[in-house]
Amino acid sequence: MMKKVNVDHLTKIEGHATLHVKIKNGVVEDCRLTSIEGSRYFEGMLKGRRWDEAFEITSRICGICSTGHIVTSIQAMEDALGVKPSPQTLMLRELLTIAERIRSHATHLYFLALPDHLGYESAIAMIPKYKKQVVSALTLMRLGNDMMVLLGGREMHAVQAAVGGFRKFPSQDAIDDVRKRLEKAKADAVATAKLFAKLPVPDFESPCDWLSLYKKGEIGMHYGDLKGSDHTFKRKDFAKWLKETHESDSTANFVVKKGKAYFTNALARLNNCHKFLSPDAKKILKASKVKLPSKNTFLDNFAQAIELVHYVDESIRLCKKLKPKKEKIKDFKIKAGHGIGVIEVPRGLCWHEYKINKNGEITFGNVMTPTCQNLRAMNEDIKAYLPQILKYSESRIQLEIEKLIRAYDPCFSCSTHFLKIKWDKT
Amino acid sequence: MAKKDKKPVVGFYGLTGCAGCLLSFIFNENEIVSLLGMVDLAAFPFIKGKQGDKEFDIIFLEGVVCSNDDLDMLKKLRAKTKILVSLGACASTGCIPAYRNFIDEAKYLPLMYEKVHRIKDKDPKPIDAYVHVDFTIPGCPPNREEVKSFIKQLILGKTPRLYNDPVCVECKLNGNHCLLDEGKICLGPITRGGCDSVCTNGRFECWGCRGPCPDANYEAFIALIKDKGHNSRTLKERMQSFAGLKLPDELQIEDAPDYVG
Repeated sequence: MMKKVNVDHLTKIEGHATLHVKIKNGVVEDCRLTSIEGSRYFEGMLKGRRWDEAFEITSRICGICSTGHIVTSIQAMEDALGVKPSPQTLMLRELLTIAERIRSHATHLYFLALPDHLGYESAIAMIPKYKKQVVSALTLMRLGNDMMVLLGGREMHAVQAAVGGFRKFPSQDAIDDVRKRLEKAKADAVATAKLFAKLPVPDFESPCDWLSLYKKGEIGMHYGDLKGSDHTFKRKDFAKWLKETHESDSTANFVVKKGKAYFTNALARLNNCHKFLSPDAKKILKASKVKLPSKNTFLDNFAQAIELVHYVDESIRLCKKLKPKKEKIKDFKIKAGHGIGVIEVPRGLCWHEYKINKNGEITFGNVMTPTCQNLRAMNEDIKAYLPQILKYSESRIQLEIEKLIRAYDPCFSCSTHFLKIKWDKT
Repeated sequence: MAKKDKKPVVGFYGLTGCAGCLLSFIFNENEIVSLLGMVDLAAFPFIKGKQGDKEFDIIFLEGVVCSNDDLDMLKKLRAKTKILVSLGACASTGCIPAYRNFIDEAKYLPLMYEKVHRIKDKDPKPIDAYVHVDFTIPGCPPNREEVKSFIKQLILGKTPRLYNDPVCVECKLNGNHCLLDEGKICLGPITRGGCDSVCTNGRFECWGCRGPCPDANYEAFIALIKDKGHNSRTLKERMQSFAGLKLPDELQIEDAPDYVG
């Protein structure tokens, strides 16, 4: 008996992807999830461009994580040029990327993930019965967006962050106003975490390891070392651990860690850093009976919801600490260099690497997005999960796999390397 | 347009892109529930699991055409809708992805994989390179207020109009100090406004994401930038970044050699 699951256009994900699964006599013969986004070759377009243009170009890789790409790009360029940003700059950047995480998590949890769990085709269809929840999501999204407008200049493709500092600064009044709104929105974040804590997840263990940034006291932010289940490495050593590769009969690009798939997302961050969660986030985690670290990748949505509470708390803390003052962008000389930037963005680790020559021209650019890193893990997870659900109908199998994919919150626009190929469906 | 007693059938789709323009619609958080109440939202694959297969009154389309799949989808959508709106810079000017049209193949060919070199995608182009487009909402990303106002006007059967003055007009009204005077390559004088000069308000120079403004005086602008001692290659690359395909063909910018890697 042959079963086939072909989803030509996955919905409720960012970008375009297809999934093809072939099952023969109860054995999974083939399983492929691939991006069908056209290729945009961002790294190629960087060649020859000026050092101060990289962030504006790479920001366009993704609308959802544009701020994450901007901060990663700036960090990599500062590494190449030997620029040390001020403490205030670092705080403003943190608040900026946390704002993006709040917006992104709220959007993903309510608009892309929750409808699956509640049996609706979309969040819009949920409005008559779940208006309160949808309004909660919209409140958190608007708040994250307003924070990004304040710190970055607009909702996406921020303009105020620069190599060496910021071009413009928020007023104390504006920061205080944001803090008050965060304090009010805390209840929405807590309600979200409690809601997702109640949603059942299948009993599942991913065959893959995880990876996130680890720095004491933080839930993976912009600095620290890279940590998996039983190893840690320095960012500068990344090439010894991570390798970009592709399968001979496919055009999709993957990143592997020592030859193996790994996941990088909210669950990876919490696996490594959950002891640094804010007290209220920790309380909800404890009450949920979820044991961390975990390799049940379905828990990524729950991890995002827990993070949402933490990020609101962390933003309040940063707003209380910030006494914004105008600072000049750091002075530095243009010189040849090689720099690496890696930060956590909503969907996991984001890497930018640049080489520049003595004229400040980019001679090499490399970007590894969270989805490139997660793609192999998603494939491995689907393969590992399929035997558990083969007893179901084809449409149910499809839904279950879609839930697994959406738990990763993949962003196929981020897949800068992918090419479209025709699938042999025989 | 739709009859008064019937809500217009609306779809939101994306070709290759970053989803940012679709988000610019969704990020009207305070009004989105009521906005959606005014239309029959038949398709929106980004946030909807089921897409209705019917004739549309209006389709908003983001993204650039850079594969045969993109083109197939574009043609299908054009055939299904009365009004096609290009939503944002990729669909309208080609945006950053279309900058690839201006660079040496050697810069990006190594990124293609050996076995699939022959499956070459299409050179990235905006949607009006292939089909008739009824309305354009420019910008990377488009201004969310502008997206909202466009939708409301279309629902009411009005004809939305674009802002025609250059970015400099709004920038001056916003009281910003001129970035050209600060030694920046700012494309404000030749770029269509309507963005409330959001980049220059943040002290970042305009890169021309909304495309050229009508009657732009390129010669005077290029002379001004060169006069300020800027590298003409950088100027050319800036002008090509977001809307290179919409610049006049005969335009001569560069007198500096291209980068050789």
